[in-house]
Amino acid sequence: MVSPEAHSDSTTEPGSPWDGAPYPVLLTDVQGMVVLSNAAAAVLLPAARPGARLKDVAPAWLSAAHDVLRTPGLEASRPLSGVMGARSFEAHPSVQADGSVVWWLVDDTDHRLVREALTVERERTAFLAEASNMLLSSLNLGRCMGVTAQLAAEYLADAALVVAPSRGRRMPVVTSLRGASPTTKHEAADPNDVPGLSEALRGFPPVPSRWIDPGGAPRWMVPEDFGPVGSIVITPLPGHGVPAGALILLRRSDTMAFTQNEEVFAQLFAARAGAAMSAARLYAEQAAITDVLMQELLPPTLHQICGIDFAGGYRPSADHERVGGDFYDVHPAAVEGEASLVALGDVCGKGLEAAVLTGKIRNTLQALLPMADDHQRMISLLNTALLTSHHTRFATLVLASAVRNGSDVELRLTSAGHPPPLILRKNGTVEEADTSGTLVGALPHATARTAALTLSPGESCVLYTDGITEAKGGLTGDSQFGEDRLKRALGQCGGMPAESIVEHVQMLAAQWVGHRPHDDMAVVVIAAPRTHHLTAVSGHTRGRFTS
Amino acid sequence: MTTSPSPYLRLTTVDAATTVRIEVNGDLDYDSAPHLLAVVTGKLAERPDLKDLHLHCAGLGAIDSIGLSALLMIHRHTSTAGVRLHLEHRTARLERLLAITGTLDHLTTVTTGDANAPADTAQAKPRTNATPARLTGPDSTA
Repeated sequence: MVSPEAHSDSTTEPGSPWDGAPYPVLLTDVQGMVVLSNAAAAVLLPAARPGARLKDVAPAWLSAAHDVLRTPGLEASRPLSGVMGARSFEAHPSVQADGSVVWWLVDDTDHRLVREALTVERERTAFLAEASNMLLSSLNLGRCMGVTAQLAAEYLADAALVVAPSRGRRMPVVTSLRGASPTTKHEAADPNDVPGLSEALRGFPPVPSRWIDPGGAPRWMVPEDFGPVGSIVITPLPGHGVPAGALILLRRSDTMAFTQNEEVFAQLFAARAGAAMSAARLYAEQAAITDVLMQELLPPTLHQICGIDFAGGYRPSADHERVGGDFYDVHPAAVEGEASLVALGDVCGKGLEAAVLTGKIRNTLQALLPMADDHQRMISLLNTALLTSHHTRFATLVLASAVRNGSDVELRLTSAGHPPPLILRKNGTVEEADTSGTLVGALPHATARTAALTLSPGESCVLYTDGITEAKGGLTGDSQFGEDRLKRALGQCGGMPAESIVEHVQMLAAQWVGHRPHDDMAVVVIAAPRTHHLTAVSGHTRGRFTS
Repeated sequence: MTTSPSPYLRLTTVDAATTVRIEVNGDLDYDSAPHLLAVVTGKLAERPDLKDLHLHCAGLGAIDSIGLSALLMIHRHTSTAGVRLHLEHRTARLERLLAITGTLDHLTTVTTGDANAPADTAQAKPRTNATPARLTGPDSTA
């Protein structure tokens, strides 16, 4: 900074009042000749001695400002500024009565630097905020990698690569050139071949960004048509306790190399990108686990088996995070003429614990199939298999054995703590099967009473979970669908095929709950098919086919 | 007398000589059942002299499968501790749930000892509630 007290040769008389001025001061006359320059001005512009032309001794911006000032009507409204030597100055003119001008030169170098830094920081903050928004709006790992590469190529470098930790032998790499959309490849490359890359991919301990020799970069790292590489920086993408990957920034040889400041900024960006990518990765893993479980737990598609119609419908709870607790299975008879077994149940609780218990029950029932003719024994053994001292999580279920006898279907139904199945008779009446028992998995002993009955052609048996009857909705939004409403609805379904009954019940329950949350809903219908003549519109039944 | 506030389940505990009465008000479900279980197990640990635990259920709202599971766990704990469990003033809804799930007799048959602990730990013990027949124990629904 030019010191206002600086002394120099006598461009002004020693002791002149101008020398005490805290700024460099130049006095010019109407013709643009320097009349006076104070001590501070002499240090700044040593050639600006009295008698010199301003145009010859001052920077162009200052003499131009002087010309503007002398032209009527072009009064400069705001301070003019420009560079003098290594610093920048604002020039404040004050025009005297005789037409001469006093130029006050104010050093604004630091002020300007601060302003520029503020602008850069604002841009960076805006960029980071935008980056966070874009990154967090997706839980898709591939998209997160693409957004990271694209943002980095747009703001931080000429090209950017995002490398995810490899699974197996190939390393997922997303490459983005500025102005182009990102491309994904799986490189069969060894990260150990690139200095700093394997450390960055390991995620721990945290490693600083690393410069690598552009000449030593492997071919997969440099995008095609990129041209000569000037500089390369590898920055780790830190995740939530798991490595999220590494960000590789490339600049062309004609672009300025990375400054330390830019590198710090790249790390700030990498922290956000890494957090988003690891969140996406964790979510993807969780979703994959849920998918595997759901695949295993999803009820089978039902159809006609051994001359009996089976239809099933399952509507999981709208709560997407939770695997459902309802299940059903149909085990066709091993030998022609024996009964097929249907199991429909509801496991207490939600989520993974419920899913695990559901899996256990289905496996156990499958293992117990050889004794499927003895429901009580099956339930008792299932109960013992599930019983544990740790908890009282239980399941309720219905077992149904169905076998064709002529055109009739012989049914044996056993409820283990489950709402009894409903029987639709040809005349439109709806009966509750006379079966009851204890739930399984919580009490030392489980007992049950089996009901035996016969379905004539066109009659059916409806197994359901309480997700249907306890569905809350209706006009008030608070009343349960209820068994009476279900029975009345089924009364309208006389003579319908099994699939249509399932669809009808599901539709009514869905209408009842509307958009409100509900529990899992499962329905299975076992029907004795109509055999010979079409009696759907015979007059014996209501014959309403609403589906 | 202590009250444990919870948005959907309010429990009021009244201690007497050898009995504890817990008034249950609100829904017993996935969110609130662990709270009741914690209060009961805390009480059993704190009162080794306890003979009777009365759950006053007149104010019980909705009860789901987790709520029932909690009642079964409470029964397991009280039986092990030699405390008689009484489910009093049962609502129609609770009565129906207990009937359908076949747990009414189990929960309202008052036994002592750990007869209803899981089979693997209860082999050597006499089972007073082993038969599925409707036992008419000193159940205090009145």
